[in-house]
Amino acid sequence: MDIRKILFVTQFEELWFDALQSLLDLKRAALEHVVFVNVIEREKVALHRGVGYRKGEAIRLREKANIHFINWAETLFEQGFEVGVYIVVGALVPRVVEAAAKEAADLIVLGDRRQGGLKQFYAGEELAEIVQRSRVPVLLYRYAGARHEALPPFQRPLLATDWGPASQAAVAYLRRLGAVIGEINVVHVTDENQLRGDSAMAIQKTRKDERARLEALCQQFESDGIPARAHLVVGEPADLIVKTARQCQATMIVSGISARKGFGARWRGGTYRAIADKTELTTLIVPAPAVEKGR
Amino acid sequence: MTKKVLVVDDDPDVRLFNTTVIEECGYSALEAENGEDALTKVKQERPDLVLLDVLMPRQSGIRFYRELKTDPALKQIRVVLLSGIAKKTFLRSQKALTEFGGAAVPEPEHYLEKPVEPETLARTLKQILG
Repeated sequence: MDIRKILFVTQFEELWFDALQSLLDLKRAALEHVVFVNVIEREKVALHRGVGYRKGEAIRLREKANIHFINWAETLFEQGFEVGVYIVVGALVPRVVEAAAKEAADLIVLGDRRQGGLKQFYAGEELAEIVQRSRVPVLLYRYAGARHEALPPFQRPLLATDWGPASQAAVAYLRRLGAVIGEINVVHVTDENQLRGDSAMAIQKTRKDERARLEALCQQFESDGIPARAHLVVGEPADLIVKTARQCQATMIVSGISARKGFGARWRGGTYRAIADKTELTTLIVPAPAVEKGR
Repeated sequence: MTKKVLVVDDDPDVRLFNTTVIEECGYSALEAENGEDALTKVKQERPDLVLLDVLMPRQSGIRFYRELKTDPALKQIRVVLLSGIAKKTFLRSQKALTEFGGAAVPEPEHYLEKPVEPETLARTLKQILG
């Protein structure tokens, strides 16, 4: 799937136009359409005892958002992009999911108010729910460090693979972005339990097999003109993925998410959430293909 | 025969305001909430004029205008822009799209910046439609 259309969700507190500008090099891949979304939280304009629905406040917030979006849209229009806008009152999660479906967006971009954890995203669980409900990849945008520079995230991503369907979907997604990605690092974290054995040979064979699998994956990227490097590590996944990202100076971490119910989903969900919680980097979360979702 | 004006805007309040002015001028008013919807209505109804917003979901006024003006069967339909987006942005964006390989399109009939006074809108409509 090409990234032709992105849904850029902003509450104006955490995600600004420079963040979007750092994504505009996706134009070299296929990006042509940016849709801005601002959700006016219902609580801000809800019925209050003795006041009623605060229509005036809703209008004020809507027009304030409109002023920002007109300014941003003018810049994008002049660069030849198509631009759309949704300014809606309601709950964040259903409104974002609804807009993504209406627009058939290829990527949802969400911001992080502060560094250091998913718990800080919007109102706690909202972002995780968007990720779970989304049929398309979700980019959790973070400004890099205290300098607040907006680095192009797709320049040097680190792909964390567990070989599952969502990881395969992530590979397919990234392979379409050869025009944008300068280099990709691929990491697989082997479970320590897999290394249990009586002989060093058996353990080394596991390492060799996983390494070969990683190299084969890197070959796929190389065949698309994307330089790729493999990293095989063993231990706790989230910690090691974040450390590897730091080690190879990645600009973004890419991870899959399975929609399967039960323990598997919790484990996988746990991993992507733990990564987002521990890293200061932007994270791209790719869902499993829709076929698996129905299972 | 009553002349038809298609109002293209995603904001229902703006559509209501515009259609009221249009009907008070003696014209018939049609509505569309984005460029895609507008293109369907234009093909069905063949309005005499389109009152066009720019920043809308699904398809912006910029792409709609380009589709309208490059369709031999529709390009004679006159367009008045009514938008918060600056006229120069509209023209520059069309120029950019032309540079990316699209056909050159003419400038719209008229440009009005939002918000517009009802008298100004009525005067503009009458100047163009008679």
